Amino acid sequence: MTKLQEHKPRGRGGASPAMPAAGGNLTTGAAADARAARQARLRGILRRIPGWLRRTWVLLLRWVLRPAGRWLDRRRLGLRRRWRTSLQFRTVLVTLLIAFIALVGVGAYLSSQIANGLFQERLQQAKQESSRGISQVQESFDNAQLSDVPAASTYVRDTLKLLEVGGADDTRRYLMVLVPGQNNSLFVATVSSGGITPAIIPDQLRTAVQGHSGQYWQSISLSAGSSEEHPALAVGSNVNLLGTHYELYLIYDLNNAQVTLNYIQSVLWLGGGILLLLFGGIALYVTRNVVLPISQAAAVSEKLASGQLQERMVVRGEDEVARLASSFNRMANSLQEQITQLATLSHMQQSFVSDVSHELRTPLTTVRMAAEVLFDARDSFDPVNKRSAELLYHQVERFQALLADLLEISRFDAGAAVLDAEPGDIFAVIHNVMEGAHPLAEQCGSVLTVAGSTEKYGSVVDMDPRRIDRILRNLVVNALEHGDGKPVELFVASDADTIAVAVRDHGIGMSADEVTRAFDRFWRADPARARTTGGSGLGLAIATEDSRLHGGLLEAWGKPGVGSCFRLTLPRRSGTAPGPSPVGLPPGGDDDASGNLHLTGELVPAVDFESNITGAEPISGRTVL
Amino acid sequence: MKARILVVDDDEALAEMIGIVLRNDGFEPFFCADGAQALAAFRSSKPDLVLLDLMLPGVDGIEVCRAIRAESDVAIVMLTAKSDTSDVVRGLESGADDYVPKPFKPAELVARVRARLRPGDQKAPETLAIADVTIDVAGHTVHRAGKKISLTPLEFDLLVALARKPWQVFTRELLLEQVWGYRHAADTRLVNVHVQRLRSKIEQDPEAPEVVLTVRGVGYRAGQ
Repeated sequence: MTKLQEHKPRGRGGASPAMPAAGGNLTTGAAADARAARQARLRGILRRIPGWLRRTWVLLLRWVLRPAGRWLDRRRLGLRRRWRTSLQFRTVLVTLLIAFIALVGVGAYLSSQIANGLFQERLQQAKQESSRGISQVQESFDNAQLSDVPAASTYVRDTLKLLEVGGADDTRRYLMVLVPGQNNSLFVATVSSGGITPAIIPDQLRTAVQGHSGQYWQSISLSAGSSEEHPALAVGSNVNLLGTHYELYLIYDLNNAQVTLNYIQSVLWLGGGILLLLFGGIALYVTRNVVLPISQAAAVSEKLASGQLQERMVVRGEDEVARLASSFNRMANSLQEQITQLATLSHMQQSFVSDVSHELRTPLTTVRMAAEVLFDARDSFDPVNKRSAELLYHQVERFQALLADLLEISRFDAGAAVLDAEPGDIFAVIHNVMEGAHPLAEQCGSVLTVAGSTEKYGSVVDMDPRRIDRILRNLVVNALEHGDGKPVELFVASDADTIAVAVRDHGIGMSADEVTRAFDRFWRADPARARTTGGSGLGLAIATEDSRLHGGLLEAWGKPGVGSCFRLTLPRRSGTAPGPSPVGLPPGGDDDASGNLHLTGELVPAVDFESNITGAEPISGRTVL
Repeated sequence: MKARILVVDDDEALAEMIGIVLRNDGFEPFFCADGAQALAAFRSSKPDLVLLDLMLPGVDGIEVCRAIRAESDVAIVMLTAKSDTSDVVRGLESGADDYVPKPFKPAELVARVRARLRPGDQKAPETLAIADVTIDVAGHTVHRAGKKISLTPLEFDLLVALARKPWQVFTRELLLEQVWGYRHAADTRLVNVHVQRLRSKIEQDPEAPEVVLTVRGVGYRAGQ
């Protein structure tokens, strides 16, 4: 709290010479003594402290400080998290901090200005009153005609009484001390009012008053009662009585001004506190108004994202926040509309595919049966009818295969295909595929072999056997068709998470462009090529969809004149992603024009297959068909 | 004597074509084009086998199948145009023994029909037992704890196949071959659905089977 004090003794007009420089830190002798005594007592206590202090310290540390520290740590972590996650908390805290700094600054400035103003006013007043009073006293002294000490004392006391009543509002006290070092028989001892002793007058001021004429002043503190100290002003001057110099001090108690100042300051602090609370409240209100809709929007959009499309924000009023809410809701509406529309479309497509499938299949069945009856009886027809029956029969077969593929791909497009996966041995499927491909292999003159490397992790995988069978059958038939009668190899390998089958031929191969287009619908490797099996051109597209349904991957590799390779990679457990494929693409490198295998990694040559197979379904190791 | 076959199909051309094929192969076909009249036609014609289209106007094929199954153990083969799992399974669960997906070949249809009509070749007197179930093979009856249990011929064949070799685990493919007469691997859902139906009739608690046990990842075997 600011004190009404000014420590330097000041001369009138500031012209007094030899002014002590370090006046600001003057303390009275009595105070210094008291301090020294206190320090001595403290030292005594301090010497006794270490013994029991150490013990209590340890206890304190163990029982109080550590849990408190942990609690503080937790609080700090909690606060830090709130600081990070809550815009409202951050804004309010920053607002409070800035407002606090501003208020403290303004408060300190105002307080010091008011204090200074009050002090200057009192000082001017005191100086004027003093100079008037002292000149009265001096005048009275000049006119004195005294011969003995008692008379002089009485005269001085009477004269000085005048000063007591001269004060405006504060009580004015006086002190008159003989300037030391004078050899005069007629002198008056120290005279004072209100229990003032020379001890409270700073030495600096006394020196100044002793040595020079003119008026000097300094702030002092005046003890009032036992512990209270009032700020006060001592104004001193040199007076002369019958040729003897005295120091005459007038002491003004500034307590009234100090009380006023204290009151003003407490009002300032209270006002500042109220303002601070107000600022905090305003910040809280404003951020709440802005943050609440934002967090509501966040909550609603999370619900929307999780599929609760009917979720909406609450719109209140017509302000910016309400605009945010209503445009958010418009967005949600349009999203819901489109998603519902898409769902309806997909559902319609599914039922359309299903209906078409039924409507087409019934007449096709009739046609197919009729064609077969005619075909079976063709030997009794004349050549023209016989050939017609044959054409009819084969084309109906082809039409049926094409329709089946078309319906299958539409089922995928409509999202109606479901995976019916259960754990099974991939070699059981491969066995069936090899058996089924036997006639075609014979017809093409190709040797079909299987090489496996599954002894460590086994060959069981979550699969829909019908679909995996369809994929592998397609790959093997393609390889045989484009294999130019050269060997076709199947490679099977597995690791902890993944199982892969690669089908490699050494036929005409594919260019890089053809590789990228291999999975396109209705794309054929070589349009001019004879269609031995009359495929629909959808086989690889369906195989891709089938492998995608398993969460797997179907990839192609090819080199013109060297051959092609298709690799199916499946995750072992459905619902997981497949790891890196355990079979190379192509297995054993791509410079393999001769048909000899250069196996790498964990793959073993086809001839060792039998001893390495771990599948539950026993199949012949080297299937040469 | 010619086997009598009731063809329930609303598509007249297909029904006629099926009739031609069946007559060709020595069967005697009867026709019904409406689901609502199928049960009456069944009662009047007393067929040995029913060929039933799943999609019928009026009463659904599945309803018809349930109604026939409720009063007879006659063999029922469904004709399905939808090959979606749910439709096939629904059909089988309603009591059909087998199904032929459209479009089928005449030979395929005839093979399915013949497999279901396989005359109960005169079996030698033989009594089998699984858990507390006893099977009189020649008498075509099954008892559990002294109580007679009514099984369809197909369910009976399935149970006998398992009971004859209690030490063997049957894969679904093997059961398809032995019980349904498929020579090549077919739809294993047939086996799953019929094992469920069989269990619901002979097990104390179908959720915890004791007679027909599942061998995970392989197939089924008889209990001890």
